[in-house]
Amino acid sequence: MKPGLTRRGLIGRSVATAGGLAAVPLVTPAEAAIPAAPAPVRTPEMVDIVLQVNGRRLPLTIEPRVSLLDALREQAGLTGTKKGCDRGSCGACTVHVDGRRVNSCLTLAIRCQGRAVTTIEGLAEGDELHPVQAAFIRHDAFQCGYCTPGQIMAATALLDEGHAGSDAEIREYMAGNICRCGAYNHIVDAIRDVASQAAGKG
Amino acid sequence: MDAIVGQPLDRVDGRLKVTGGARYAAEFPVPGVVHAVLVQSSVAAGEIVAIDTSAAEGMPGVLAVITPENAEKLQADKGGEQVVSRPTLQDMQVLYNGQHVAIVVADTLDRAQAAASALKLTYKQDEAVTTMDSALNTAYRPKHFRGGARSPDSNRGDADAAFDAAAVKVDATYRTPIEHHNPMEPHATIARWDGDRVTVWTATQGISGAQHTLATLFGIPPANVRVICPYVGGGFGCKGSTWPPATLTAMAARKVGRPVKLSLTRRQMFTSNGYRPRTVQKVKLAADAGGKLVAIRHDGMSQMSMPSLGEFAEPVGLATEMLYSCPNVAVTHRLVGVNAPLPTYMRAPGEASGVFALESAMDELAVALRIDPVELRLRNYADGDEHEDKPFSLKNLRECYRQGAEAFGWSQRNPAPRSMRDGRVLIGWGMATSTYPANRRPAEALVRLQADGSVVAGSGTQDLGTGTYTVMTQVIADELGVSPRRVRFVLGDSTLPPAPGSGGSTTVASVSPAVQAACAAARQKLFSLILADPQAAGLTSADLRLANGVVLAPARRFPLSQVLARAGLEYIEGRGKTEGPPGGHSLHSFGAQFAEVRVDPDLGEIRVSRYVGAFDAGRILNAKTGRSQLIGGITYGIGMALLEETATDAETGRYVNADLAEYLVPVHPDVPLIRTIFVAGEDPVLDPLGARGIGELPMVGVAPAIANAVYHATGVRVRDLPIRIEDVLG
Amino acid sequence: MYDFTYQKPSSIADAVKLLAEPEAKALAGGQTFIPVLKQRLNKPSTLVDLAGLGLAGIKAEGDKITIGAMTTHGAIAASPEIKKAIPGLSMMAGWIGDTQVRHCGTMGGSLANNDPSACYPAAVLALNATIVTDKRRIGADEYFQGMFTTALATDELITSIEFALPVEKSAYEKFRNPASRYAMVGVFVAKSAAGVRVAVTGASQNGVFRHTEMEQALSGNWSPDAIAHIKTPPGGLNSDIHGSAEYRAHLITVMAKRAVAAAS
Repeated sequence: MKPGLTRRGLIGRSVATAGGLAAVPLVTPAEAAIPAAPAPVRTPEMVDIVLQVNGRRLPLTIEPRVSLLDALREQAGLTGTKKGCDRGSCGACTVHVDGRRVNSCLTLAIRCQGRAVTTIEGLAEGDELHPVQAAFIRHDAFQCGYCTPGQIMAATALLDEGHAGSDAEIREYMAGNICRCGAYNHIVDAIRDVASQAAGKG
Repeated sequence: MDAIVGQPLDRVDGRLKVTGGARYAAEFPVPGVVHAVLVQSSVAAGEIVAIDTSAAEGMPGVLAVITPENAEKLQADKGGEQVVSRPTLQDMQVLYNGQHVAIVVADTLDRAQAAASALKLTYKQDEAVTTMDSALNTAYRPKHFRGGARSPDSNRGDADAAFDAAAVKVDATYRTPIEHHNPMEPHATIARWDGDRVTVWTATQGISGAQHTLATLFGIPPANVRVICPYVGGGFGCKGSTWPPATLTAMAARKVGRPVKLSLTRRQMFTSNGYRPRTVQKVKLAADAGGKLVAIRHDGMSQMSMPSLGEFAEPVGLATEMLYSCPNVAVTHRLVGVNAPLPTYMRAPGEASGVFALESAMDELAVALRIDPVELRLRNYADGDEHEDKPFSLKNLRECYRQGAEAFGWSQRNPAPRSMRDGRVLIGWGMATSTYPANRRPAEALVRLQADGSVVAGSGTQDLGTGTYTVMTQVIADELGVSPRRVRFVLGDSTLPPAPGSGGSTTVASVSPAVQAACAAARQKLFSLILADPQAAGLTSADLRLANGVVLAPARRFPLSQVLARAGLEYIEGRGKTEGPPGGHSLHSFGAQFAEVRVDPDLGEIRVSRYVGAFDAGRILNAKTGRSQLIGGITYGIGMALLEETATDAETGRYVNADLAEYLVPVHPDVPLIRTIFVAGEDPVLDPLGARGIGELPMVGVAPAIANAVYHATGVRVRDLPIRIEDVLG
Repeated sequence: MYDFTYQKPSSIADAVKLLAEPEAKALAGGQTFIPVLKQRLNKPSTLVDLAGLGLAGIKAEGDKITIGAMTTHGAIAASPEIKKAIPGLSMMAGWIGDTQVRHCGTMGGSLANNDPSACYPAAVLALNATIVTDKRRIGADEYFQGMFTTALATDELITSIEFALPVEKSAYEKFRNPASRYAMVGVFVAKSAAGVRVAVTGASQNGVFRHTEMEQALSGNWSPDAIAHIKTPPGGLNSDIHGSAEYRAHLITVMAKRAVAAAS
C-alpha cells in the first residue's frame, strides 16, 4: 500500500471542508524536538560553573546574578520548575538542594556548585512515578498544573521532614506553595494518602 | 460497555503535569530566542516628552529598545474583534501608572531587565483621577454594555413605588474592591516571524481571538498567524483577551529578526491584563410581612479606565433580574472612569460581585423579617425567568438548598447573632444562593479513526486546567466505543478547527457537541464503507456497532484495520459543528453555599472552618475534575471574602501591593475541608450530553455566605469586601 | 539585578577584607537580600558569599548556647538543645516564613538586616543575647538602633549569637501577615538572669523595642492578668493595608498575654 498517494486521493474525495489538512497539528508541538538557542555575548563578569542536577553534570556559563531558577529554565531547558512570582512568595520554583526544599528563585545558581539539585524532572525513576506524583494524579491535586511541580517538590520534602502527621500539619507545612486553581483540598488528600501508605509499610 | 462520560477518570494530561513535561507558553525551546522586558510608566496621567535610550542601547547583549518613537505602526489601533485597544506604543499619551511605554530586547533575561531599568523617560504630568470613590459623581452609562447586546438598565413593574409602600425594607450600599486574577503562570508570549507569517506561543484563553487580533493589528491574513497554546497556567479571565504584551512581543520579534520571548513579572500582571473592577452597589429590597419580595432595586457602579482604552462594565445586576420571583425590579449599570488600566472579566464576572450585594441584602432582609435565610429564599423561589419571561431549561435550586442544608446541619442553627460559641471562639453559620448563566457558542471539531483502532481528535479550544483534554477524551471514548487510553485529543493550536475562547463557562457545552458530531460523522463514513462491501450484504447501519476498533454486526465482524486497508485509507475523518445557544429557554446554573466561620474575639481573626456547596449544573461529565472545579471556585471565593484587594496609592495611582507577598490569596491553611454536592439533573436543552460549564458557578455566593456567617458570629454586618479583622473587633 | 562580581572567601579575614571594598555586600541566606537585589534597590559591586566561612552550627555549653551566624532557621527550629533550653526561640524559628525560606535564611543575616518586622530581634532583645562579631561583642540593648539600623560597622561581620543560660521562661507569639508570615506583631517574653524582659517586633516604625511597662508588671506577677490592662499608645506604630496602628497596639497586649500564658 502507498498511503501517501491513496490518502491524498481520499482527502480530495471525502472531506470537502479539509482546507490545509496537512497542517492540522495532530502531533502536539510540545512533542516536537527543537534545538537550544546559541550562546549569549560573553562578558568578563561571566563565569563557568558546573551544577549537579538530577544526578547529571550541568556545565553553564552564567553571570553571577543568574538565579538557579533562570539557569534551569532558560539555559538548561529544565522548564518543569516554574516561575510564579520570582520573589519567594509562591513556591512554584521549589526544588531540592542537598535534599532540602528551597525556592530556586531566591538561590543564585553560582552558590549551588558542588551541591545536589533535584527538580521535578528528576523525581520519577524512569517510567515509574514517585508515589507523590502518582497520588497527585489519583486525587486530581491540580488543575492548570503550573504550581504542581513546586507543590510536589514541597510535598516530597514535607514527607521526608515528617510533617504529615495531620491535615492541619500538612496545610501548615505546605503554606509556602500557592495554588490559584484552589486544589488545596486534593493536595492534602494526596499527601495524606502517601503518608498513610508509607506508615502502613513501615 | 459502561459509559466513560460521567466516570471520575484521572486527568489524561496528569502525567505530563506531574513530571514537568507539560509545556506552557514561555517554555517552548524555539531556536535562537532572545528575551524582552516591558518598561512601564511611573505616572498616572500625562505625556512622554523625552526618551533617552542611549544608556540602555549601549549595554551588553541589548538588541532593541522599542518606544513610541520607533515602534511599528499597527494597522488599526484596536484589537480586532476584541475589547482591548491600547496601549501598543502608538502614541506618547499616558493614561495610567504602569502603562507599557517601551519594550527592550537582549540576549539574556537578566540583561534585558538591566537595560529596561536603564531607560530614561521624562513625562509631562497631568492631574490624574486615581480612585473611583473620589469620582462617583462622574458616573456614566456604558456605551457597549454586553457588547451592545442589551441595555444597561432594565425595569419590571415599578420598583420605587413598591419599595416606598412596603412593610419591611433593606436599603444598603455594598462595595467590592479591585481584585487581580493572579494565575500562577504569568502571561508569556514567544513570537517568531517567517516572512509575513508569524507563530506565537502565548498564554491565552482564546487562540482564535489571538489569531484574529494579531492578524488585524499587523495587517496580515488570519491564516498567516499561528497561535499555539497547549497548556495554560490558569487564566480566570485575564488571558481571555489578547492584551498588548502579546502584540508587543510580535512587534519586537519583527524588529530584531529573531524569535522573542516575553514573560510578565508578577508586578506587571497587575497592570497588563485587566482586573476585576471595584464596584459600589446600592441595593434596595422590600417585602411584605410574609417575606414575599415586592421590590428589588440594584444600582451598580463599576470602575473603568479612561474610555479611550476600551470599555468594560461589570454586569453586577444581571443575576438580580432573574434570581427571585418579584413583580417590581429595577437594575442599572454605570461606569466611573479613572486613570487605571482597563478592567476585564474575572472568574464569575458580574455575578461574583453582584450576588455578594444581593445575597448580603437578602440576609439582612431575613434578619429584619425574622425568617430563616433558606426559608426566605424558598418563599421567593422563581419557577421561571421573570426577566426574560422564559422557562428555565433546568432548575434544581430547591434541591440544592435542601441537600446543602442537610449536609451542613443547618437545622441546628440558632438564628441569634453571637449565640453559637466554642469556648471563647464565636461561631457563625451563613448561606447564600449561587447562579451563573449557562452558555454555548459555535465550535468545530475533527476526529480521525485510525486503522489500529485508536482515535486522534482535535479542536481549537483550550484547557485552562478545567479538564477539556480529559472530558473530550471521555466523550470520544463513548461515541466511538474505544478505551480512553486509545484516544488522543489535541487542542490549543489555531490550525485546528475553530472553537470559542474559554471563558464564561462555555467550553463543555460548546465543544462537546462538536466532538460528538465529528464522531458521528466519522462513524457514518465508516459504516458507509462497510455497507458498500459485498460481505455486508443485507445489513443496514442500524445493525452496526463500533467497539474497540471492530464494527460488529449480527454474525459478522469488520475490523477497522481491514476496512481501511481495503479502502486504501490511513484513517477516516469526521468533522462536527456546534451552533450558538438555543433560544426559547433561560439557561442558568444554580447552587446553594453554606459556610461556617470561627472568629477569635480577641484578634478578630476570621477562619472559614467548614464549608458545603450544593450545585445544580446539569450532568457532570467527570466527577473528579468536576469536583476540582467546585473546590477551586469556592477557594477563590474564600479569597474574595476575606483576603483579596488591590490597593491604590491615591497620589500616584500606583498599585501598592502588586505582588504575592502583599496581595493575599488563599494558601493551604486558609482552606478547610470543603464538601461538594452535585445535585442530579441533566439539561435537556443546552447540549446533547446535558452538561454545563462549572468554572464560575461555585465561586458565586461564597463571599456573601461568609459575610452572612460573620454577621451571625459577631453581629457585625460587613458590606465592604474583603472582610477585615478590624471590621469585626468591637 | 545590577551586575556584580561574586566572591566566596574561606576565611573571616578574607571576607572582612573583601567587605571593606566600596559597595561590597555580604550574602548570607539571601531570602531578603536577593529580592532586594531583584528590585534593584541595592547595587553591590561585589557579593561576598559567607557560606564558606564555617559559621553554621549550634553549640550548647553549660551556661550558654552559641548559634553560628550562618545557622538557618530550619536548623534552629530542629535543634533539640534549643528546644529544651529556650523553647520560645525554637518556636520562633519554626514560624519564620515557610519551610523553603527556613532552609536558607540565617539568624545572622536576619539580625544584620534588622527588618522592623523580623522575628529574631525580639528573641535577642528579650533574652539579652550577645552579638559576637569578628571585632567585638555587642549587647542586645546596644545592638538594635532602629529600623534597618544596627551597631555593626560596614565591614563588620556577625560570627555568632550567644544566649546565656539558664532561661527560666520563654515564649513567642506572633500575629502573622497571612502571606509572607512576617510578624505584624510579635511578642517575646522571657525570664532569665537578665530579669523579665518583653520585646515587641513588627509593631513599631523604629523596629524592635522593649515593653518596659509590661516587664515591670510581669516582674511582680508572671501571669496574663498582670498585663491585661496595659495599653500601648498607637503613636509611632506601623499602619498598612493589613492593619492599622490602633489594631497593632491592641495586638501587642493580646500577643503578650498569650506568650505569658504559653511560658507559664
